[in-house]
Amino acid sequence: MKIGDSIQNLGARIVVVQAVAFVLLALLGVRLYYLQIVKGDYYSERAENQRVRLIPIPAPRGAILDRNGKLLVDSRPTYNVVLSNEPLKSINVNDRVDDYARGLNLDRQFVVERLNLIKKQNEFEAMVLKENVGMADISWVESHSLEFPELRVELQPQRYYPLGTTLAHVLGYVGEISPKQLEDEELREKGLRPGDIVGKGGLEQYYDEYLRGKPGYRKVIVDSRGRVQSELEKVDPQSGQDLVTTIDLDLQMEAESQLAKSATKRGTIISMDPNNGEIFAMASAPSFDPNIFVRGSSTSEGRKQIAAYWQDEKRPLYNRAIQGRYPPGSTWKIPMSVGALQDGAITVAHSNVLCGGGITIGNKFTRCMGSHGSPPLDYAITKSCDGYYYHLALKMTIEGIIKMVETFEFDKRTGIDLPNEKVPQTPKTWMPWVVKHEGKWGDIRTVYASVGQDTVVMTPISMLRAIASVGMRGKMYTPHFLKEFKPIGAVGQESDITYIPARPGFGYQHPEPRLIELKQDQWDLILKGMWGVVNNGGTAGSIKMPGWEIAGKTGTAQVAELGKDTGGNKDHAWFDSFAPASKPEIAVLVLIENSGFGAANAAPAAKAMYESYLTRRTPPPAEGEVAKQ
Amino acid sequence: MVAILEKRDLRDFDWLTTLLALAIAAFGVWQIHNALPTESYWSKQIYGIGIALVAFLIVAFMDYRRLIDSAPVFYVIGLVMLLLVLTPLGVQVNGQKAWVKLPLIGQFQPSEFVKIPTVLMLAKYYGSRKSGILSFREMLIGGAIFAGPILLIMLEPDAGQAITYFPILAAMFFLSGIKVRYVVLAVVAAAILIPSAWVVGVKSGKIKRYQEERILAIIDPDSVDPKGYGYHTIQSTITVGKGGLSGIKGDPETSQSVLKFLPEPHTDFIFAVTAENTGFIGCVSLLLAYALLLSRMVAGARQASDRAGMLVIMSIVCGMVFQIFMNVGMALGVLPVIGVPLPLMSAGLSAILSTFVAIGFVISVKLRRFVN
Repeated sequence: MKIGDSIQNLGARIVVVQAVAFVLLALLGVRLYYLQIVKGDYYSERAENQRVRLIPIPAPRGAILDRNGKLLVDSRPTYNVVLSNEPLKSINVNDRVDDYARGLNLDRQFVVERLNLIKKQNEFEAMVLKENVGMADISWVESHSLEFPELRVELQPQRYYPLGTTLAHVLGYVGEISPKQLEDEELREKGLRPGDIVGKGGLEQYYDEYLRGKPGYRKVIVDSRGRVQSELEKVDPQSGQDLVTTIDLDLQMEAESQLAKSATKRGTIISMDPNNGEIFAMASAPSFDPNIFVRGSSTSEGRKQIAAYWQDEKRPLYNRAIQGRYPPGSTWKIPMSVGALQDGAITVAHSNVLCGGGITIGNKFTRCMGSHGSPPLDYAITKSCDGYYYHLALKMTIEGIIKMVETFEFDKRTGIDLPNEKVPQTPKTWMPWVVKHEGKWGDIRTVYASVGQDTVVMTPISMLRAIASVGMRGKMYTPHFLKEFKPIGAVGQESDITYIPARPGFGYQHPEPRLIELKQDQWDLILKGMWGVVNNGGTAGSIKMPGWEIAGKTGTAQVAELGKDTGGNKDHAWFDSFAPASKPEIAVLVLIENSGFGAANAAPAAKAMYESYLTRRTPPPAEGEVAKQ
Repeated sequence: MVAILEKRDLRDFDWLTTLLALAIAAFGVWQIHNALPTESYWSKQIYGIGIALVAFLIVAFMDYRRLIDSAPVFYVIGLVMLLLVLTPLGVQVNGQKAWVKLPLIGQFQPSEFVKIPTVLMLAKYYGSRKSGILSFREMLIGGAIFAGPILLIMLEPDAGQAITYFPILAAMFFLSGIKVRYVVLAVVAAAILIPSAWVVGVKSGKIKRYQEERILAIIDPDSVDPKGYGYHTIQSTITVGKGGLSGIKGDPETSQSVLKFLPEPHTDFIFAVTAENTGFIGCVSLLLAYALLLSRMVAGARQASDRAGMLVIMSIVCGMVFQIFMNVGMALGVLPVIGVPLPLMSAGLSAILSTFVAIGFVISVKLRRFVN
């Protein structure tokens, strides 16, 4: 250095500068070693976690068909506006509320709820903001994609109920899994996650596990704004299994139209095959439109309609066939007769019991509708003689009635394949309460119980099952809707981790029918009485059909005190039947709420059901069958 | 005469330094391409390097002593350019008014270029002084020369750019024979004042929330909002760490910059891109290349024929070391986010041009080491 010596320590000072430079570069090298070599795997994973995202591919839910393959429920493609949470992290979500509410025509409160919900979710998850959107919403989202990168339009199969209110109670509906259901250990084990669509009510709920498919997914790389850049892997979903029901859609439509024509438009009609418990039709009125639950929960209109359903005094959401409990009135006399014969209170040879126009218990006289002398059992059934059963019940005693309740399993659910079935109430249910509050079970309660009043309330389905079993001479089958689940193929290769095995098809697993023991001549006697109700000048003689012999029993169940059968508290009209009387093929139960006499208000609807059945019946009724009777 | 001069020029021309600088710049182009393969920054950078190379050769073959003699002229021109930023000719980019748009010339960043007149002006002043211990008066005069551009840059305001000027003044003071006890005093004072300024600043609210967050992201990365002001630091650290030993080798499928997780990948965070694509091996090679380049420059300073030439080279060296350390330290998550470009690597015409012009001075000084 030419100038070096003139300045104090210049050479050394340059060395110091150079040394400081090298030390600084070396420090950077050490830090690099730590980040890339020591923690390299950790940062690789963090980078992967923020760029790789699983997008579920929803599995189509199995269709629901009637016994002849007619479509009852289907899924159809719809478009949803989906909100992904990743781009939302960096913005104040409250700024978005008004934009979303205005742009997508949503309830402000609903948008706030959704935004709060998505904030709680894991990174890179998405949630439906608006379901079933139209072209206007799709183009709004597309044209605001720069402004709101968190929104996207997604194709999703949506449950569709083409029949609307028809069969709604049986089918149920689907909806997003509720937070309460998510707490359920059993459901969580089945892999259900927030936002999943599950069956709510009806067959959709009962057979959800089989109807629901297994979702697939796309493993994709996204950029920092959550936009998909490329696909790494795709696993196809497995569709749910198709459910073939025992429903006969034509009979179902007839049942719905009969209810619609009825006096109060409230009630239920059930039709069943007594030979195996297959339900042909189950209508409950008033009804609801399941599509509103599927589509409507995100619009204020839909929410209003759903709230109206819940608040409606006529209870449209409630399946009267299995959840309604009504005094069975005179239809109760059929199981009573079976009980009395089993009990030995009467015999075929000596089945006459005094009518006397009524009975006096203590100082209270309870009358019969007529004066029938001392009729035999079949006549008492045919004419629906109350006095006969008042006296018969006292002979049987309340213990005999309770035994009959157990014989017909009126103290249990029928076990139909629908959720939320109610258990009937009987003297067996009430006995402890009555004894506790009244000291003893009084005779008057036994007398009322003999004609299906007071302590007796039945679900229509349990009444139908009982009457059908009488037609079958003691074979009582479990009512059900499942005919068959169709098999579904496997997805993927067996060697893959993502392989989903095939699901086999299966039919209804029939439990052994319950046998009610009675001698053939005893059955004959009861059946003769029931045949007479329609065919031999009985209470439902008006519905007699040529060449088609219906056996049945009318019922007019008091709702209020005797003699006050007016207005909204008019009697419930029942007609419980099967046909042909000698070899039943079909059982029909009709219950019209608060409409008055069973013979006038319920029996004609049953006749219409049989007529509808006969138009499609194979084989046509044989000549000899009618003659034999 | 001219022919002889050229012959000797070519023989003494520092090819190694030149090629090293070009190699780093070319490596930088590759990384700019890796950062955003679908954008045109990398091709613009090649164009920029071409222009820079022309300027570099002009400066290298000019006599630096004549340039130092006319330093006051450049200095005044530099101050005028900085003033232009504050006039309506100034252009705002990313919220900072640091650019000027002139007809014919186009848009550029004066604060990048004004470093050179500042260095020349200071070298002229300190190069002509008598030997001996630096006096207080001499420090004040140097400080006044330095204050001109610094104050104008602070008015823009561009604190990041202003910070890169300080190593120039430090180099001038240190190599002009400032007393060692002042150096020790300055280091001790910094060690005490910087942390206390932090505490006082946070408590009194003088340090803005975003500034506090950016520094907290260094001290305790888990305590800050990963989507907030800590985002740059966290994403850069992830990007660097993910590179591992040998990097992802340009695979855009998983690239943090292509997927836009890493912000400003072609400029401020070009080192993170390098780390992701070339791994530990590539980064250490780059740091070694810088070390070699700086060593060559320091060697040139030792051979300089006069003190002004030595001061020019050493202040350029200090400026570069400081920028490399600030930029890479930021990418590695040990220093707060300040927009300082990485010399020769970051995309940007102004930066690459001013760096090559500075290296041109180094070559010029070395070329004239025997001439006197």
